Amino acid sequence: MKEETPIIEIKNLSKWYGDFQVLDDITTTINRGECVVICGPSGSGKSTLLRCINGLEDFQKGDVIVDGVSIKEISHTKEIYKLRSRIGMVFQHFELYPHMTALENVTLAPKKVFKIPEKEAEKRGMELLEKVGLREHAHKKPGELSGGQQQRVGIARALAMNADIIMFDEPTSALDPEMIRDVLEVMVDLAKGGMTMLVVTHEMGFAKAVADKIIFMDEGRIIEQEDVETFFKNPKSDRAKEFIDRILVHI
Amino acid sequence: MIMVDVSVIIENIDLLWGGLLMTFKLFIVALAGGLPLGIFLGLGRLSSRKWIYYPVSAYVHFIRNVPLLMLIFWIYFSLPILTGGLVEPFYAAVVSFIIFEATYFGEIIRAGYQSVSKGTIQAAYSTGLNYWQMARYILIPIALRRVVPSMITQSIVLFQDTSLAYVIGLHEFVRMASLIDNRVIRPLELYGFVAIVFLVICSIGSQIVKRLETKEGERK
Repeated sequence: MKEETPIIEIKNLSKWYGDFQVLDDITTTINRGECVVICGPSGSGKSTLLRCINGLEDFQKGDVIVDGVSIKEISHTKEIYKLRSRIGMVFQHFELYPHMTALENVTLAPKKVFKIPEKEAEKRGMELLEKVGLREHAHKKPGELSGGQQQRVGIARALAMNADIIMFDEPTSALDPEMIRDVLEVMVDLAKGGMTMLVVTHEMGFAKAVADKIIFMDEGRIIEQEDVETFFKNPKSDRAKEFIDRILVHI
Repeated sequence: MIMVDVSVIIENIDLLWGGLLMTFKLFIVALAGGLPLGIFLGLGRLSSRKWIYYPVSAYVHFIRNVPLLMLIFWIYFSLPILTGGLVEPFYAAVVSFIIFEATYFGEIIRAGYQSVSKGTIQAAYSTGLNYWQMARYILIPIALRRVVPSMITQSIVLFQDTSLAYVIGLHEFVRMASLIDNRVIRPLELYGFVAIVFLVICSIGSQIVKRLETKEGERK
């Protein structure tokens, strides 16, 4: 059983781009050690929601509380940098630093944010690259790595800060099918290891295997939040039903 | 039969050297003015403030669509009519080059900055880096690597463009060769020599660009 200590509380969160409302009154709680999968049609506000949690995007209404800290209060102060270092993020298009090696990608933030000595940061960086199965590629630049390898470097980079939470923004949607598995395996290991994870993905196999909760979003709203079994077997809303049908049967 | 007599070059080497020095002087002053102005124009083109963006864009589009020779004529011949004062050929030339080349440098800088993906910047922020750390370790290194080869290429173009100052009587390299030629009528040797000197200098520049580009290619 997972302990029920909330680590992220989202309270009546709303966000607009001009007149267009991207997030509409989002309220949910994520407990420490939980793996939460967020799904829904494109444009439903999933990625934006993640970016509000670590303050990469502003919001107009409501608040996000991360481990007792209000994002609204710190969003334009230096405190936000400290908070971001506690939330790792993995991106759809990897977003590795192209001018640095895999190892440098992983060690930059520990060295510059936490001022960890070079040697120590590199030792830890190598351990993380080993964990994602890329030890022998540590000194290659992103351009010399395949998509799947790049994404695993991205995961190692997110882990390097010893973050409490890791957010994944469609981590496998830009990958070839044969590479998706390598990335998912790393993610499953993390989830089983008790990492708090927020995963925007359409990989329902992953959701069934390790998710504690599924959040289904559409048009900026949370339509359903359920445990995995209930969501797949008895979706309450027609929209979720439609979505599940479409995503499970590709054609 | 064609007779090539290089003694005309040797006899006039002092004059030609003086001309080449003037060419370098033009080039360096134009570069020293054009680069900073270019950086400002580039940043202006990236600005989200409309009152900066629109005037700067209008300036850049206007200048880039006018021949450089035209611009030199305006500043040398037309400006004195409007202001009543004479413009020294050297200043007329330098000002024209700065105004003209800065627009090209500006567009190169803008492209370099925009080539750094927004996602990469967000990734840097997501690890807890602050703005200055992000700029220092991510934004500027990536943008610079992409910009430097084009900057050198554009500088080579500027170096060649300096010969246009000939038309307003500035004693730069080409003008010198032409003056000597008027006296001794040895165009083959004189202009051949000028061409070789330009070729050598610009080739060195191109080689540097090539090296940098292969290095950048390996990085990707």
